[in-house]
Amino acid sequence: MRTFTKLLKTELKLNIRNMNMVIFAIIMPIVVLVVLGFIYQEKPAFEGAGYTFLEQSMSAVCTISICACGLMGLPLVVSGYRERKILKRFRVTPISPVMLLGVEFTIYVLYAFVSMVLLFPIAMLFWGVTLHGSWPAFIGSWLLTMVSTLSIGMMVGGIAKNEKMASVIASALYFPMLIFSGATLPFEVMPGVMQKIVSMFPLTQGIQLMKAASLGQQVEHIWIPVVVMMAVTVICTGVAIKCFKWE
Amino acid sequence: MREEAIKVTDLRKSYHGKTVVDGLSLSVKTGMVFGLLGANGAGKSTTIECILGTKQADSGEVSVLGLHAKHDRRKLFQEVGVQFQEGDYQPEIKVFELCEEIACLYKKTADWRQLCECFGIGEKLKNAVKSLSGGERQRLFIVLALIPNPKLVFLDELTTGLDAKARRTVWKSLEDLKKQGMTIFLTSHFMDEVEALCDEICILKKGKPVFYGTVEQAKSESGCEKFEDAYLKFSDEEEGIGA
Repeated sequence: MRTFTKLLKTELKLNIRNMNMVIFAIIMPIVVLVVLGFIYQEKPAFEGAGYTFLEQSMSAVCTISICACGLMGLPLVVSGYRERKILKRFRVTPISPVMLLGVEFTIYVLYAFVSMVLLFPIAMLFWGVTLHGSWPAFIGSWLLTMVSTLSIGMMVGGIAKNEKMASVIASALYFPMLIFSGATLPFEVMPGVMQKIVSMFPLTQGIQLMKAASLGQQVEHIWIPVVVMMAVTVICTGVAIKCFKWE
Repeated sequence: MREEAIKVTDLRKSYHGKTVVDGLSLSVKTGMVFGLLGANGAGKSTTIECILGTKQADSGEVSVLGLHAKHDRRKLFQEVGVQFQEGDYQPEIKVFELCEEIACLYKKTADWRQLCECFGIGEKLKNAVKSLSGGERQRLFIVLALIPNPKLVFLDELTTGLDAKARRTVWKSLEDLKKQGMTIFLTSHFMDEVEALCDEICILKKGKPVFYGTVEQAKSESGCEKFEDAYLKFSDEEEGIGA
């Protein structure tokens, strides 16, 4: 535990010093929120809707930082450490891969958390956003979405040969998920076939679940997104640890 | 008889059909300073990596402090410090952060502030590692290898990039550590250093051991007065230069 907190402290400091994640996981979601806020203000999501467009978009805006953390930050930092032979140096110390991945994982959990904690008060204060559903249900679905997305990133970082490879895989996951999972383009406006395809993304499932939880809507077959995301988490974490490469 | 800190039997390693280490056997007793010598590309670093388990040997037996480097990795590296030839670090990290980060991995550690003082980088703790000079960075990586207060330390080209004064400081510190009972396995291209520090040496030539024994034996066997000449004779570097 002492090792974990000390490592976390140093690695977090280095990560913040680097600024990339501060921009992509903290500042960018706020910019998106502010732009949406100015455009839609307190307009309802559609004629006669019981909630505003912004309230409907909150879940998606929260996943922007999850995406940046899980599909950019985490895989790139782990594969970068491998390429720079920092992992090789760690290999000749008593540290375990689980500890190493755990520390990096926790850093990005913190970013995603800080991002969400900043977004809600801003939206509430300026555009009167309220959470129609239950907070525990929303937090629960947020946690599931975050952990499953980060575990994908951990797997990519754990097994990619080098930073370039990781960055190609990360981009191939990041951009489609960011654009098509409903984080930026609303899921509702997509044609039926496309909806079916993008439903394969765990992030789509996560956003749908978060949206329903925040708007207080009933979800049919709630077990589908839950099972999909849990399976993704277990499989990706397992692969990341089992196939971890020091070099 | 003293215990064996490192035992290597008939180690072999090749990359893409090219043999790099060819039937190397050696034994390093506890408390000894052992020098592995040879020209660039003679197989020194590969040997160290096979001993540490960061590279998989094709065949041969390796035991370090009675343990298997791969299977008992986490137990073994509580007691073993390593300085690799090309050490790298996180881009923005500062000296004290790097020391803290390494220190927190071990159960028992030496006082790294004191070690930094000993190696002449005590004033640089707050500096970014990348802003250090090559020699300072080299000394920092020796400090990192010594942080676990190891029973056994591997130093690959320990004084490359250091000026004459800094080299003497490093020797002095290593002699002190040896007196305290630390076993040291080093590689070096400086024969004065090897002569001053090493109890036993092994000279590699294209992965094959061509001499194994003490510095004195090397001199008498080769008929050379100076150890550097003896080394060149064994490793045939002289021919290369003459040709």
